[in-house]
Amino acid sequence: MSRYFEDVQVDEELEPVEKLPTEDLAIDFFGRGNPTNPAFADAEAGRRMGIGGALVPGALKMSWMTQYVSDWAGPEAQIASIRVAFRRPDVAGRPLILMGRVVDKRQDGGKNIVELEVVTVAEGQPSVRGNVAVELPARG
Amino acid sequence: MEEEQSLLTDEHRAMIGVPGEPATVVVREEDARRMRDVLGDTDPRWADGTGMAPPYVIAHFGGRGNRGGPTILPGGILTQQEWKFTRPFRIGEELKSVGQVFDIRERLGGRYGHSVLVTTSTDYYDGDGNHVGASLLTVTQFDPARAGKGGSE
Repeated sequence: MSRYFEDVQVDEELEPVEKLPTEDLAIDFFGRGNPTNPAFADAEAGRRMGIGGALVPGALKMSWMTQYVSDWAGPEAQIASIRVAFRRPDVAGRPLILMGRVVDKRQDGGKNIVELEVVTVAEGQPSVRGNVAVELPARG
Repeated sequence: MEEEQSLLTDEHRAMIGVPGEPATVVVREEDARRMRDVLGDTDPRWADGTGMAPPYVIAHFGGRGNRGGPTILPGGILTQQEWKFTRPFRIGEELKSVGQVFDIRERLGGRYGHSVLVTTSTDYYDGDGNHVGASLLTVTQFDPARAGKGGSE
């Protein structure tokens, strides 16, 4: 279902979504056989880095955040940008909750832009904070 | 009290904004499909046969063509990342990637102590020279032996 620029309200909240990152998911995301950080698949390597287990790739979390907003925005929308700050490492096997809120809507160069603040929360603490800008269609 | 000396040299500053050698990346169908399936993304816009790739396929480009930043301190951790999309990616298209050092900053204090933030960017262009997307990475470089001595953030 399409979401229209006029219908979006600042402070509107998105339904939270839970994701479960695993070592297998991380490796499959980049492709088996492609070089990646050993700590993505090896919990011991992660522990040596002081993480406490296998590290969840930042790109995987960004991709989930992109998908989260894209699903909310609907099939006529287009993601314009995502900018994130990695606050804490996430450990594979621990659920991540994606949460989002509309923080701005504006017209920019003829485009209808809605900006959302999206955060991943693990064990009650935010681990990635991001802003996603998405272009939405207008009614009529 | 020990006075902090800048870790940045004229050589480091001269690297900012100088584009590296262009490289080529291809938006491969198998990458798009694999990433989409791993995420459980059922968006019909990039389903098989549409010829389109989901935006996060940019994660697979991996900074190829990127101009690596200088290593100023021995420790490094990815602290910020950004993707920009000028238009959707098309399956099979070849993109020219051009990387550069976007910015180098120093930071005193915080959890990493005296640290250096190196931001690199990679821009992607299609065969007509039109901008398609970009990726920026900020790595915070720090001295593990001195990290944590600058107070909390």
